[in-house]
Amino acid sequence: MGGGRIKAFGNYHPIVLFTYFVSVIVTVMFSVNPVIAGCALIGGVSFCAVLQKGRVFLQSMAFYLPLFLIIALTNPLFSHNGATELFFLNGRAVTLESILYGINMAVMLVAVIYWCKCYNEIVTSDKFLYLFGRIIPKLSLVLSMAIRFIPLFKAQMKKISRAQKAMGLYSSDRFGDRLRSGIRVFSALVTWSLENAAETGNSMRARGYGLKGRSSYSVFRFRKGDGILIGVSLALLAAVFIGTGLGKTDFDFYPETTKIPCSPVAIITYISFGILAFLPFFLEVKEEFKWKYYISKI
Amino acid sequence: MGKKILKYFIILACIPAVIFLGAFIFSEKQYAWVSIAVALLSCVPFFAAFEKGRSGTQKMIILAVMTALSVVGRFAFSFLPHFKPVTAIVVICGMYLGGEAGFLCGALSALISNFMFGQGPWTPFQMFAWGILGLIAALLSKLLKKSKIVLCIYGVLAGAFYSVIMDVWSTLWADGTFNILRFGANLVSAFPVTIIYMASNAVFLLLLAKPMGNKLERITVKYGIYQKKA
Repeated sequence: MGGGRIKAFGNYHPIVLFTYFVSVIVTVMFSVNPVIAGCALIGGVSFCAVLQKGRVFLQSMAFYLPLFLIIALTNPLFSHNGATELFFLNGRAVTLESILYGINMAVMLVAVIYWCKCYNEIVTSDKFLYLFGRIIPKLSLVLSMAIRFIPLFKAQMKKISRAQKAMGLYSSDRFGDRLRSGIRVFSALVTWSLENAAETGNSMRARGYGLKGRSSYSVFRFRKGDGILIGVSLALLAAVFIGTGLGKTDFDFYPETTKIPCSPVAIITYISFGILAFLPFFLEVKEEFKWKYYISKI
Repeated sequence: MGKKILKYFIILACIPAVIFLGAFIFSEKQYAWVSIAVALLSCVPFFAAFEKGRSGTQKMIILAVMTALSVVGRFAFSFLPHFKPVTAIVVICGMYLGGEAGFLCGALSALISNFMFGQGPWTPFQMFAWGILGLIAALLSKLLKKSKIVLCIYGVLAGAFYSVIMDVWSTLWADGTFNILRFGANLVSAFPVTIIYMASNAVFLLLLAKPMGNKLERITVKYGIYQKKA
């Protein structure tokens, strides 16, 4: 999946996307509840699976699965709280509760990591700059200039390095030589870029940057669909916050694990969060089917 | 005046408020949360000061160049794992262009490089850690410019500081509380990388500080940017 088509979820307005990701990540990190953490993990991983190419996704799995196990299994080594002793290791009790706590922590952490991965795929730097352009106009101009400079400097660095190679400078593979050639290239890049920058700054001033009445170009338009999505996600978030705020989903690991709360309010909270967490996944899958359907008609 | 009030308001009122709120309202996992909020809030005064201040286009663009250079530096030396000049460039920026530029260069470098390497809850910590290193470099700039030994020591300490801050973060993150045992384990497991950080900071500062500093001074004199009395 993924690949060919533009991402359905990424088409929404940056404000909608940012609100969505912040509310999911905040909820996951706030709540101490295994159901919510589990929903977030499965939702995040499946969303990520739709967004990324198969191989990239599997590679990340190969990295995060061991990480998951490490976090889950090391907790009993550092924490000896809990009432149910399973066995003793070096005279210290390994408790059931600390293992469960470790697993819950691991679920939460890996969930947040996967949500951040999805965030990186969806909220690209141009959307980020659009969002913060009004709050921090100067800094976001600095940011966008810096982001543009990076590929420019990289290209320039290649040119300098080729020129130096052609002159036969530091061409061996020894550590010292590579370091020195790196420094040399970098130093030339610094001179070039600073001189360039001062010129650009003068040019900007000459064209009246910083005068009043500056307008800004934006490719993002707030459509009806954006309003619906932001409304739905805020409503779901409110439901989750009310549920957790009332303490209906509280869960304790120490000294003994409590039962998973199953009151009606708790269930409503779980369902709201479940919908919230799987929303982008469903949107992507729906769009994928639509795409396949239209393709098949051609 | 307003700028100063805002600065002190954030440092003296908002940060303690966040800590208290965190301690009373959210019983568990408060530490990770509170630490993220504090790291972000401590960047706010610098951002606000830059937005409010009279910074010309050249100041802005030089800041952008320094930030981009520190990120590109990660690629320039990519053949040496963990051997990166980011801290060194942030420190040089602080030494020669002042505290504000140093802090912002550090914070923005962290933000931008995470656009490439992945944003996450660790971003505010990196922003804060590098920002502070740039700021302190500006405060010590006279000493750092005078003696290469002091410069080296600062590089080594900066590497250790960065590593410890990130270990504090990963402890809070993985445990929900500050578990001293896990912190110790993190410190030990990160030790080889910490050593590389410290060494690379010292090496890059020794090799880059003088030439880059000369270039920065030349450009600031030539175009009259970042001069105290202009």
